[in-house]
Amino acid sequence: MTPPGLRRDGLDARVRLSRGAIEVDVALTAEPGQVIGILGPNGGGKTSTVLALAGVLPLAAGHVEVGGRLWDDGRRRLAPEQRQVGLMLADSLLFPHLRALDNVAFGPRSRGVPRQQARQRARAELERVGLADRESARPGELSSGQQARVALARALATDPALLLLDEPLAALDPDTRARTRSDLAARLAAYDGVTVLVTHDPLDALTLADHLVFVEDGKVSQTGTPADVLSEPRSAYVGTVVGLNLYAGQGDSHGHVRTADGGLIVTTSPTEGPVWATVPPSAVSLHLHEPEGSPRNAWRLRISAVTMQGQSARVGLVGGVPLTAEVTLESVTALGLQVGHDVWAAVKATEVRTYPR
Amino acid sequence: MRYAAGWRSRVALGVPAGLALLLLVVPLVALLLRADWARIPSDLATPTVLPALRLSLTTTSVTAVLCLLLGTPLAWFLARSDHRATSWVRALLTVPLVLPPVVGGVALLMTWGRNGVIGQHLTPFGIQIPFTTVAVVLAETFVAMPYYVLAVEGAMRGLDPRLESVARTLGASDLRYLRTVGIPLVLPGIASGLALAWARALGEFGATITFAGNFQGRTQTLPLLVYVELERDPQVAISISIMLLAVSVLVLGVLRGRWLR
Repeated sequence: MTPPGLRRDGLDARVRLSRGAIEVDVALTAEPGQVIGILGPNGGGKTSTVLALAGVLPLAAGHVEVGGRLWDDGRRRLAPEQRQVGLMLADSLLFPHLRALDNVAFGPRSRGVPRQQARQRARAELERVGLADRESARPGELSSGQQARVALARALATDPALLLLDEPLAALDPDTRARTRSDLAARLAAYDGVTVLVTHDPLDALTLADHLVFVEDGKVSQTGTPADVLSEPRSAYVGTVVGLNLYAGQGDSHGHVRTADGGLIVTTSPTEGPVWATVPPSAVSLHLHEPEGSPRNAWRLRISAVTMQGQSARVGLVGGVPLTAEVTLESVTALGLQVGHDVWAAVKATEVRTYPR
Repeated sequence: MRYAAGWRSRVALGVPAGLALLLLVVPLVALLLRADWARIPSDLATPTVLPALRLSLTTTSVTAVLCLLLGTPLAWFLARSDHRATSWVRALLTVPLVLPPVVGGVALLMTWGRNGVIGQHLTPFGIQIPFTTVAVVLAETFVAMPYYVLAVEGAMRGLDPRLESVARTLGASDLRYLRTVGIPLVLPGIASGLALAWARALGEFGATITFAGNFQGRTQTLPLLVYVELERDPQVAISISIMLLAVSVLVLGVLRGRWLR
C-alpha cells in the first residue's frame, strides 16, 4: 500500500461513495502503462468506481490522484472536462451524427486544438486501430466491432493519463469480441498511461490486465496478478470466475480440512488454521458405488444440474461438500447421470490445494 | 385474435363512436362546402387581409425565434435536472396550456399594463406595451412557449445521458456539448416543437384581443380579422379560415411521424 501523495505518476485512488444500497470503498494503485482489471458481479460498484474516476460521480470521501495531480479529495473535485481522462463504455456511444473522423477529433477540438490539427490527430488514431479507410463513415454505417475501435481511438485522441474502459467488449458478438479483444490488447500495449478495465468476462481480464482487482458489494475482495488469482482464489465469486471449487475451512497438520458446512476434505498438502481449499472440476470423478482405495475424498452427493460444454459436461452436485465436476459425455451416458440422482464423487488428495485464509 | 362482436355491443360502441367522429369532421367539411372557391383569391386580396397576414407572419415568426432562443435552454435545464423543484416548474409551464386565453390576456395586462407589475416601471420611460405589436408577440409567446419547451424537453430526455458523460471526459463544456451534440441530436424534436408552437401562435385569439386589442395593421392578426369579417362579409371570413385550415394541415404534415403515428 502506497500512502496517498507519494506516487508521482500513475494512479493512486481510494474511491468511497454510496450508490443505492451499496457503500463503495475501492482502493486502486497502478504504474503508468499498467492495465488494472476490475472484476465483480453486476451491481457491485465497478461502474460507480469508474464513473467516480472520470469525475462523473462525486466522491463522498477518499481521493483520486493521477500523474501527481489531485483530481478529487472528496471536497474539491475537477470536472470531467478538466481531467486528462478517456472513457469508453459498452455501447460505443459514438456521436451518431458525426463521421468517424469527427468523433475522434471531438476531444482535441473540445480542448482547443485547431480543426486541421485535430483532424490530423484523429486520422492517426483511426489508423492505429486499423480504420483509416472508414474515416468518413457515420457510426450507423460501421459494424459493432468497428464502432468499438472508433470509441477507443476517440478516448485516446486526447492523450489521457487515465483510460477507463467499462465493459468495452460486452456489446459485441463472440466472433467480433475475440478479434476486437486482440486489437484492444495491441493498442493498449502502445499506450503509456494507466488503464482501468472493468469487465465481467474472465477472458478479457486474464488476456488484457496486468493486475486484477475483484470488487464485490462495493469492497475489494481480492487483488493480485492473473496468475496469483488463478491459483489462489479467495472468495466464492473469484473461485467461480477462475473455475475452481473453493471451500473455506479449518485445516490441521494431518491434511484434514473441515468446511464451515461440516464437510471433510483430505489433502496431501496440509496447511494449519483457517484455510482455503481448492478442487479443480476436472479432478472430480463420479461413481455409482462407493469407490475403493485411499487416501481419497469420496462424498455421496446429489446431482443438481448437468450442462454440456463442448465435449465435456459440467455436473453440479449438492450435499456436504458442494462441487462442480467436469466429466466426459461418455460418463454422463454410462452412469446415467440425471438431476436428482445420488452419486459418489471422488477426488485424489493430491489434487486438493490448500493455502492460508 | 379478434372476436366476432355481437350486434348489441357493436351498436352500443359504434353509435357513440360515429357521433364523435361526426362532431369533429362535419364542421371541417361544412367550412369546405360553404367556401366560394372562385372568390378565395379576390377575398384574400381584400385590403384588410394583407396587413393582417403580414402581421400574423411576422409576430408568429418572432415568437418562434423567441421560443428557440429562450425555450431551448429552459428545456435543457428541465431535461437534465432531477431536482424536486423541476417538476414544479414543469407544472407551472403547463398552466398556460390549459388556461383560458382570455385569462392569459388579463394576466399579461396585469404584468405589462400601465400599472402592471413590470409595466409601471416602464411607463416613466414612455414605454407602452399593451395594444402594440410587441403585445401581440408577448401574448403569442405566452401561449406557445410551453408547447415548445415540453416538446424539446421530451426529446432531450430521450438522449442517453452517458453521451454527455463521454463528451465531458473528452473535454467538452456544457455549452459545447449542447452546441455540437445535444442540439443536433434533438433537431427533429426542435422542429416539431417549433411547428406546434408556431401553429398555436398563429391561432392565438383570446389573449391577443384582450391584451393587444384589435387595431388594423398593428395588432389585428388573421384570427382577429376572421372575427371582424364574420360580421362584415362572412365570405371573406370563410376564405381566410380556409387558408388557416390549409396551414394547419401543412403543420400536421411536418409533425407526421414525430407526434402522430
